Amino acid sequence: MKNISKQQEDNLIAYLDGTLTPAAKERVEQELANSPALQQRLVALQNVTQVLKSTTLEQPSKNFTQRVMNGLDQYPLRSGLSLKNGILLLVGVMIAVGIGAFLLSAGVFDSTGAIDLNNMGLQNKYIKESLPTIPVNGKLIMNIIIMLNIALAFLVLDRAILKPWFERRTRMNF
Amino acid sequence: MTDPEFELIDRILAGNQAVYAELVDRHKSYAFTIAYKILENRSEAEEAAQDAFIKAYHHLKNFKRDAKFSTWLYRIVFNTAVSYKRKHKVKFQDIETTVVEYGQEAEGILERSDKKKYIQQAMNKLNEADKLAISLFYLEEFSLEEIAEITGMQANTIKARVHRARQRLAEELTILLKKEALTL
Repeated sequence: MKNISKQQEDNLIAYLDGTLTPAAKERVEQELANSPALQQRLVALQNVTQVLKSTTLEQPSKNFTQRVMNGLDQYPLRSGLSLKNGILLLVGVMIAVGIGAFLLSAGVFDSTGAIDLNNMGLQNKYIKESLPTIPVNGKLIMNIIIMLNIALAFLVLDRAILKPWFERRTRMNF
Repeated sequence: MTDPEFELIDRILAGNQAVYAELVDRHKSYAFTIAYKILENRSEAEEAAQDAFIKAYHHLKNFKRDAKFSTWLYRIVFNTAVSYKRKHKVKFQDIETTVVEYGQEAEGILERSDKKKYIQQAMNKLNEADKLAISLFYLEEFSLEEIAEITGMQANTIKARVHRARQRLAEELTILLKKEALTL
């Protein structure tokens, strides 16, 4: 409302709050009697004050305290992976598993290699005797890596995606 | 400063974790209300308020006791909720706080019984700090100094924000009343 000055607005609020001096109060009342716009604004301010004063406390779910008490020992685990990062990590792990499985099935790791310790230059410097050759089974190592990745994927799925999701669902249904 | 809750805090710090449930029960409504006023989503507010209580428990030994425990706790709730708001950018709104554009309602725009709903809508047009300041102020539990402590603002700033928020709400309500008159 353009025809109400800031000073008049301030006076109306002070009038409602009862913080005006008797003389100032009388002036405001005179202004009010002559201005329908001011009267309208006073009614609006009264309504606002009345509704704001009836503001009530929001109540959390019934099991709020229990949830807090259950969470006390989990701190700071709760602030772990975010949902977005969890999904990204899961996708990355699954891609790694997929690539590993593809290379494995393509027979890239079929041949058994060996690490010859005699070729590593240790023999002449520190050891005089001949060193053994360690056989390396690429297929076995790759299988272990894939299994570890699958276990990691399940862990990420559980901790970063499913658990927060079910927790949120439970909270929304309280 | 002596706060009757200091005794409870001493017992918790002595290792009696179960006593904390009593503090949670005492303050959960205000903590939840503060988080809800900031996040406007019950589920997010519940999560933020719970996190705040857990943080407060683990930092209880750092509580200096130069203020009321409740003020210290609500400051943690306020900061946690603000950080949730930044992090999660609240994806959805509860139905009761969804903003309905003026003119969207079928008829009888402003009945007396709708006053509260329309003021709530007008509240949604205020900026975050003004909204929180006016909400906390009218809960009548907090003094201006306590609100200032909780929100990290100056008491005078809070006072000015409450004053400005009332004016803006009245202005919004006047516009609504005018619109109602035009539809009659």
